[in-house]
Amino acid sequence: MLGLKSNTQMKAEFEQLAMPCLDGLYASALRLTHSDRDAEDLVQDAFMRAYRFFDKFERGTNFRAWLFKILTNTFINKYRRQVKERSFSEGSERESVTAQLFSADATETAANPEDHLLDRLLSEEVLSAIDHLPIDFRMVVILADLQEFSYREIAEILDVPVGTVMSRLFRGRKLLQKHLQSYANAQPNQAIDLNEYRNRKKLG
Amino acid sequence: MDCRELDNLLYAYLDGELVDDERVAVEGHLAGCDACRAATDREHSTLLLIRSRAKAGGARAPDALRERLSQKLGDELKVRRVRAIGRLAAAAAGLAVCTVVAHSSWRSHQRRLYVEDAVNRHARSFPLEIEKPSPEQLEAWFDGKLDHRVAVPRFQNVVTQGGRLLNVRDRQAAYIRYDDRGRRLGLFVYSDKPGDVDVTEPEVDRSNGFNTVTWRDGDVVYTLVTDLDDDDIRQMLPQHRIPEDAVPAHAPTVQPAAFSH
Repeated sequence: MLGLKSNTQMKAEFEQLAMPCLDGLYASALRLTHSDRDAEDLVQDAFMRAYRFFDKFERGTNFRAWLFKILTNTFINKYRRQVKERSFSEGSERESVTAQLFSADATETAANPEDHLLDRLLSEEVLSAIDHLPIDFRMVVILADLQEFSYREIAEILDVPVGTVMSRLFRGRKLLQKHLQSYANAQPNQAIDLNEYRNRKKLG
Repeated sequence: MDCRELDNLLYAYLDGELVDDERVAVEGHLAGCDACRAATDREHSTLLLIRSRAKAGGARAPDALRERLSQKLGDELKVRRVRAIGRLAAAAAGLAVCTVVAHSSWRSHQRRLYVEDAVNRHARSFPLEIEKPSPEQLEAWFDGKLDHRVAVPRFQNVVTQGGRLLNVRDRQAAYIRYDDRGRRLGLFVYSDKPGDVDVTEPEVDRSNGFNTVTWRDGDVVYTLVTDLDDDDIRQMLPQHRIPEDAVPAHAPTVQPAAFSH
């Protein structure tokens, strides 16, 4: 009788804690897998795994972080192998972008007053830029900027030191800005032209 | 703090991750460095922009997924319930076994308590209420004095010396004293309706230098206290075959009872 009751209670408790996290899990899974179908599968896997291990969850600690730890672990264990071929190109891209990042050129770009170009970027462009980050940087950016976890929580989720979280986040964000900058430069729209025109006019 | 150090801590600062000393150091540098202040403001607005854009574009979990997960949790619960029932049944079975074992060991403990009390009372040589009766007279004398009928066992070469009422622990008992060629035997006959005394076949116990044989006839339990040894007991009780293994092999030879005549 005890077993029956606690199972029902456990399910209710789990649903109460986990269901509100579902959107965040799915949004993150989408950035990790790049596919609706894989994202749903990943969330489902992680969700059921969390339910099965719910008795291991230490009550009173951060449930959302615990859930995301399971999500990222499930992704790394199961899905990463499938996406490996795709990330291969990202790997080489990562090298070159990182090299650019630390060149004088990159610093100039970052300091460029035309930064406000980013204001015109669409959500899809930002998300696509995140999707193109190498996986280690992408995970940290997702957790920090989409899910707003603290550095310590991210360190726990990914099982790395806080210092690693900080350096990955630094490089990840810089890379992201670089991608976005290139988007913005490649697709100047009417509004930007007008704005530039006005600026030039003022200066002139 | 110089501009380079600030650059390293910039995100931590913007993310609100810096503790007191570091935060004060960063703010101190920013207050005196226009370039870093401008860069920090720019980073801050970029960060906010990326965050808001990313979140605005973040997809909600599809309803189909939500429903599927609810369904799966329900299925899992059912499986767990079945498992829990299985565990419960196993636990109940375990408990039943434990109960039986505990009860039988309790009953055998109870038998020892009755046997010990019978031995002690036999050894104290209480005066008899009826002396030198025949077994039939003795049965007649006990009749109506106890809730149970007393059948006086007849033993070979053994005469009934007398009888009296004498409790064994909480039970009213008929006490029958026999004489076996100068050796005194005592038999307690008491009712055990609850079945507290663990005996079916004759059981031989030892207590305070006496041998005892306890057997049961329906609700009535017989405990014979004697200083006879195992062989004599066997010879004496031909109608009750005592299994060989009822007597512990390591049992010491029976000491003559101090109270025997």
